[in-house]
Amino acid sequence: MNVKAEKLLLVGDNPFHGISHLSQERVRERGNSITSAAYAASLVATSVKNGANGFMFSVSDTTLSILCTLKRPKSNPLNLYALVPYAYEYVRLATHAGGISGLAKQFARQVAFSGKFKVAALGLKGILKTDLRELMKAYIAYEISRIKSSAKKNGILRSVLLHEIITDMALALDIDWLFKSYVDFVSEFGINPGFETRNFSYLVKKFREWDIDFGKILIATPFNKIGFQMNPSKAECEKALAEISECNVIAMSILAAGYLKVSEAVEYIDCLSNITGVVVGVSNEKHASETFSFLRNRFSGRSYL
Amino acid sequence: MSKEKMKAAVIGAGKMGLVHSSILSTLADVELVGLCDKSALIRRFLAGIVGKNRVFADVERLLDLDVDIIYVTTPIPSHYSVVKEAYSRRKSVSIFAEKTLTADYDDSLELCRLAQGSRGVNMVGYMKRFAVTFQKARELLSQDAVGEISSFEAHAYSSDFFGVKEASKMPSKRGGVLSDLGSHVIDLALWLCGDFEVQSTAQIGTTDIQNTVNFRVRNDDQIEGTFDVSWCQKGYHMPEFGLTIQGSKGKIKVDDDTVKLETISGGPFNWHKHDLKDNVGFLLGAPEYYREDDYFVKSILRGDGAEIDFSNASKVDKIIEKVTERASAN
Repeated sequence: MNVKAEKLLLVGDNPFHGISHLSQERVRERGNSITSAAYAASLVATSVKNGANGFMFSVSDTTLSILCTLKRPKSNPLNLYALVPYAYEYVRLATHAGGISGLAKQFARQVAFSGKFKVAALGLKGILKTDLRELMKAYIAYEISRIKSSAKKNGILRSVLLHEIITDMALALDIDWLFKSYVDFVSEFGINPGFETRNFSYLVKKFREWDIDFGKILIATPFNKIGFQMNPSKAECEKALAEISECNVIAMSILAAGYLKVSEAVEYIDCLSNITGVVVGVSNEKHASETFSFLRNRFSGRSYL
Repeated sequence: MSKEKMKAAVIGAGKMGLVHSSILSTLADVELVGLCDKSALIRRFLAGIVGKNRVFADVERLLDLDVDIIYVTTPIPSHYSVVKEAYSRRKSVSIFAEKTLTADYDDSLELCRLAQGSRGVNMVGYMKRFAVTFQKARELLSQDAVGEISSFEAHAYSSDFFGVKEASKMPSKRGGVLSDLGSHVIDLALWLCGDFEVQSTAQIGTTDIQNTVNFRVRNDDQIEGTFDVSWCQKGYHMPEFGLTIQGSKGKIKVDDDTVKLETISGGPFNWHKHDLKDNVGFLLGAPEYYREDDYFVKSILRGDGAEIDFSNASKVDKIIEKVTERASAN
């Protein structure tokens, strides 16, 4: 078996937001129960009991409620990996708020009245100067404070990852300063800066050009046997992965959104030496216990850090 | 066409403007030279992203640049004036307009006439034609997999305004549910089943905004179709489009995720999008966006017309106008 000794086994949150990349019909058939914070929290707990050693989530009211209900011993808090911003929710808000400028105004009000004075000051500075760097910092600080106050001592925030929509748009538009500022700013909190992407090989090429240190960052991106969402191709993504042994890469979509069996998925991930961990969403108790038991046994998972 | 990159500009820096700007920036044959938006706030932020010299307040100033390609991604009601202005200044420009072509069928016809006098390629962003499942359905129909089509049922659902009690100003800006959501499935039905005319309409909505629309259509070959369109449905995290097409030898059921074929000689046969090579050069939002931009640019390079040109897209505007007229009469 060709894997690193300690593999991150993360519970993902897509099912808790009613997302399935396999079939939206399947989501509707599941009904609303899975999107209730209490049920989702019990699935996270079952996953952890069976081998998961962390939780990767988009920051939203649902996932913050899950963090509020976590109960972990002080000596062993849950490792948290947060994705920001929760793009789908912001798109929906933009729809109701009158587009991107309406959303920006709504967000400014939210930060200003959050009671977090340092964050509000940063945000105000960004708005007055229309400085994207300052606004990004205000936003990241705001989200980190929301996560920490929800999780309290039950979770420890290991990484904040930029959501794929922002990562991939910034990659395409060549906004190198955004990535560099993001890495520097998130590192100041003692947190690992991360990036979610559906264009892994493109990201690796650009980060090399921009001299971004792979050793300092974490990347979450699809890796699966059938090449689902591996762009431009499975072969290109595998080649890029082989080039960056110093980086922490979390494999997403290992089950190709439920298209593959766990055993098939693991067999493939086993062959990729530079994968540091995997993230898998679970939709019911049986699924949670079986999936993470299997992953734990196969990857000899031990607590991370 | 020379090997120099084609210069592209995007008018309207909302969600779709940013998606197309990003994808165009990844295409080898294209250089993004300008972005235009009427909001001063958005322009200030854009300047921080793409540089001050690439951000414009006026369409006229942007059109003064020596651009080969223009993307029109402003709200639907402004498409007509923006496209008209573009053609009046640059006869050779290729124009991609986000759907729908205009908010008024007569305006669409005028733009079709202007496009005919242009040397550029024109296209409307009916991106669902680039989804692998709908492409598979089209392939099956062209192989006569279900025989002669006799009827179809089409739907387009989203939860964009589910639970929204007061109608905000936004839905009217987006042109109502038919333009915003229904236009995609109307285009798909025209593409898969051929031209048709509106027969009857029943509409449920607020006083001035369509929220849910049902209507029936028929064509000269007696193919009958029904449409059900709503952006107030529960449980649609993403908009969903689907058609069930009944033929003399079988039935095709297709949506964004799967294609199912049942025939009198066998089946069901299922294809999931996972089976249909859904990878693209650069994924942003959905694979369809990359494919439609790549297709448009390649059409320009080849000097061909695009399949979803203004003329074809205006058929959707005609259907929407007829449905709206009949609903008002009811």
